[in-house]
Amino acid sequence: MLRDFRKKIYKSPISVLLPVSGLIILGLSTLFSITTTQGQTPPNALSKQIIFLIPALILMSIILLVPRRIIHKYIYLIYGCITIAVTLPFFGEKIAGTYRWINFGLPFGLQPSEIAKWVIVIALARYLSDQNLKIKNFNAIVVPFLIVLFPTMIVLSQPDLGTAFVMIIPVFTMLFWVGSRPIHLFLIIAPFLSVFTAFDILVFSIWAIIMAVVIFLARLKLWHALSLYFSNIFLGLIFPLMWGTLRSYQQNRLLSLFNPELDPLGAGYQIIQSKIALGSGGFMGKGWGQGTQTHLKFLPVQESDFIVSVIGEELGFLTLLIMLVLFSWLIIKIIRLALDTTDRFSSLVLVGISTIFLTHVFVNCAMTVGMIPVKGLPLPFISYGGSFLLSCFMMVGFVLNFGREKLD
Amino acid sequence: MIGVVVLVHLAIAFRYFQLQVLDFDIYNQRAESNRIRAMSIPAPRGLILDRHGEIIVDNYPTYILYGIGAEIINKKHNYNVISQTTGIDTTVLKQNYQNYYRNRFVPTRLAKDLTINQLSRLEEEKNELSGIIYKQFPERVYNQKIHASHVLGYLKEIDRQSIEKLGEDNQFEYGDLIGWSGIEKNYESSLRGKKGVTYYQVDAFGREAGKIFGQENILPYPGKNITTTLDVSLQQLLETELRGRRGVGIVSRPETGGILAYVSAPNYNPDLFTGLISNSDWQSVIADTNRPLLDRVANGLYPPASIFKMVVAIALLEKKLINPQDEIFCTGSYDFYDRTFGCWNPNGHGKINLEQAIVQSCDVYFYEVIQKIKLDELAEVAKQFGFGLETYIDLPSEMKGIMPTQQFMNRLYGRWGWSQGALLNMAIGQGEILVTPLQMARYINMLATKGKTRTLHIVQNKNHNIPEPDISNRSWNLIQKYMSKVVTTPQGTGRRSNPKIPGLKIWGKTGTAENPHGEPHAWYIAYGEKDGEMISVVILLENGGHGGEVATPLARNVFKHYFHSNRSKLAKN
Repeated sequence: MLRDFRKKIYKSPISVLLPVSGLIILGLSTLFSITTTQGQTPPNALSKQIIFLIPALILMSIILLVPRRIIHKYIYLIYGCITIAVTLPFFGEKIAGTYRWINFGLPFGLQPSEIAKWVIVIALARYLSDQNLKIKNFNAIVVPFLIVLFPTMIVLSQPDLGTAFVMIIPVFTMLFWVGSRPIHLFLIIAPFLSVFTAFDILVFSIWAIIMAVVIFLARLKLWHALSLYFSNIFLGLIFPLMWGTLRSYQQNRLLSLFNPELDPLGAGYQIIQSKIALGSGGFMGKGWGQGTQTHLKFLPVQESDFIVSVIGEELGFLTLLIMLVLFSWLIIKIIRLALDTTDRFSSLVLVGISTIFLTHVFVNCAMTVGMIPVKGLPLPFISYGGSFLLSCFMMVGFVLNFGREKLD
Repeated sequence: MIGVVVLVHLAIAFRYFQLQVLDFDIYNQRAESNRIRAMSIPAPRGLILDRHGEIIVDNYPTYILYGIGAEIINKKHNYNVISQTTGIDTTVLKQNYQNYYRNRFVPTRLAKDLTINQLSRLEEEKNELSGIIYKQFPERVYNQKIHASHVLGYLKEIDRQSIEKLGEDNQFEYGDLIGWSGIEKNYESSLRGKKGVTYYQVDAFGREAGKIFGQENILPYPGKNITTTLDVSLQQLLETELRGRRGVGIVSRPETGGILAYVSAPNYNPDLFTGLISNSDWQSVIADTNRPLLDRVANGLYPPASIFKMVVAIALLEKKLINPQDEIFCTGSYDFYDRTFGCWNPNGHGKINLEQAIVQSCDVYFYEVIQKIKLDELAEVAKQFGFGLETYIDLPSEMKGIMPTQQFMNRLYGRWGWSQGALLNMAIGQGEILVTPLQMARYINMLATKGKTRTLHIVQNKNHNIPEPDISNRSWNLIQKYMSKVVTTPQGTGRRSNPKIPGLKIWGKTGTAENPHGEPHAWYIAYGEKDGEMISVVILLENGGHGGEVATPLARNVFKHYFHSNRSKLAKN
């Protein structure tokens, strides 16, 4: 058995751990800078992060060794459990205005939605790897969306817009991966785009034209095409009326994207301070522990969502570039593994996980430079956050497991 | 798919490059202004001292609490916390904030005169209070013995209008205090000093977070101390004497022009104006019908009455129009064409010469002799004594008074609208002639020194010399002799001013100025000398009655105090 384990580890794509450890070191040193320069005594972000690293590594190792067929067999059960788990915070007390954490009476809470990210991916992978699935049918992509949407809607109402977003993205790449027709994916995305372009009459007109061209080229039945087109237009027209029903903080976040300077002390404040911190870092940075914007607390949520701004201020563009190289190395490595794997279930899992990582990196980095609204998504391996760290290392465990050549 | 990953990373990397490398300068500057706060440190104003070095105006450190609008997160919460820790009512804080608010980045005053105790309690709540700072502020504190409010003047908060008046060259900010009257105004540039600047880091909540390396503070440069010619004890004496009355008391040294006491009654407590004047205090001072703000010494205009008679006498003597021995019979009234001019003594003085006319202040004598001189000839001599001219005292405002000439009278009444009768009024210092008590101080100083006096001053003589009048020694001597007899002879109107100190000689002249506001104003001007040391006194009591009765005792007390006091030996300037 032990020999079996050693063989398993040996056959795993262990090189994945190189970028991961690089990122972890960067994250911990940044937390070290924040906590020591500001004189925070343990338990602080750094000490908690280090403590969480222990169960994270243990969980990663366990997942690495679990036989894939066991994962395949029980994933629907786990999916059921996690769906219940994300509803549990609603029975507890509100923390920071949201129902995200389950309190076990420990000094920290757990966030089941972090775990749900990969559970959904694996559940999807099992459904999509079914040999009997006729993926070219439009009906075949309805079930995957149901699988995703059920927990996502619960998370969205916690409310946690960022996590919900991360949950929903992998379904597109995974459907694409198994070869569903691009027009079907387009049909799924179209309503969302109709809604978001509804803010501006010009953008909406351009979108209407593009939609018409795409639907025409797809050679759908006339009746289908027309009803599809006009239902989308109708959605875009009615959306501004529904805008008022959105929560005000979500409205603010969306609006401050378009002009963060409008409200320098509200939602836009975070983006402005983040840009100032990043921009003032320059090419080489101000030096470790020397970030004035960080340590004088101009930079908000600096341990988690805006940690990249701390790195940018103290260690400069060069370090951020290295960080991005590490991330792309990791993500590309996972996609490569997915391409090399002969097993459809494994490759789907890998694609889903790579999508999760990519979404996190993109949303977090783009948010700190004001390219997209403030979403509240942490940066994998770098941001402070116990549940998220656990989830990330579990996903690394899955990558190591599913990226391995078949043994069992 | 790998392409998408690479593209996403490149897009982000490009954005970082744009921010961190291309726009580095912009963001670096914004980061600096984000964290550095420059605060001016007020320079302590120079002290004002009396001639013996006794402090008249001092500084006292008080603390002022400010709020910075842009950094305050929750105003209501801040007010509540401040109110709970210091006991200052929230409505007061709110009102102050509105009153002093200029913009959201400039510290706005919330409260002043905070004690150390209150501050330390606020310090404990510092984390609760965003955008709240305090600053030490040197406030004026005054010698409790005297007011001297009109000499010292007061400070005023700089506002938009006054900052424009001061021109570009000033280093004031809104809310700074500037000398607005008196010595505080006249010597503003010396007293003010130079403000310093302190730089420190602030965190995102506006809380102080240590010094900035490499950015030295600029220390304030305190204002120069000013030594005045005032004598606190004399000032105190005269202020006490004049308490509850309307009037003026001036004590000066004829040889130098240095002023020892400068009292305009009623006055106000200068403490009223410390720091910032509240509107209600200001209104109550303004509304006082006795006009305590008016500096009667330099800005009050009165008829000189009989003390003008020396000018008339000198003019006639110089022109050789009278012989001092010539006698005139005073019946108590004088008929001039169809008008009758009365003497102050309706019983008449009988046969009287120039000496007795001055000693007993006979009006009829002067009605008679004035007719020998032309108005312009009289005005010429009066000008030499400074009538109708500024004294050039080192204070910001003074009136010139009026010494009528032919031209003046023509302009006022028309060529044929006035007659010789007007001259008769002027002979006894009534009618159109108006003087300030300060001009009378210069006048008595000239009489005391035979015209060799210097410009009156509180701090220093600013390069202005009084031209020596072209008057013969004989005239000077005669007038001085008569003025001495005013005090020494039993009928002399100034006899009550003599404290009878051995060796002390006193010269004086009383005046009783008729005016339309009721009782006459009582005048007395005098100088006294003992062992080569000389001071002059001017007393005016508005609607006080006869100068010889009410004004002279005040002068006596001044002489008594000064020449009894050993400290007088120290007075040299």
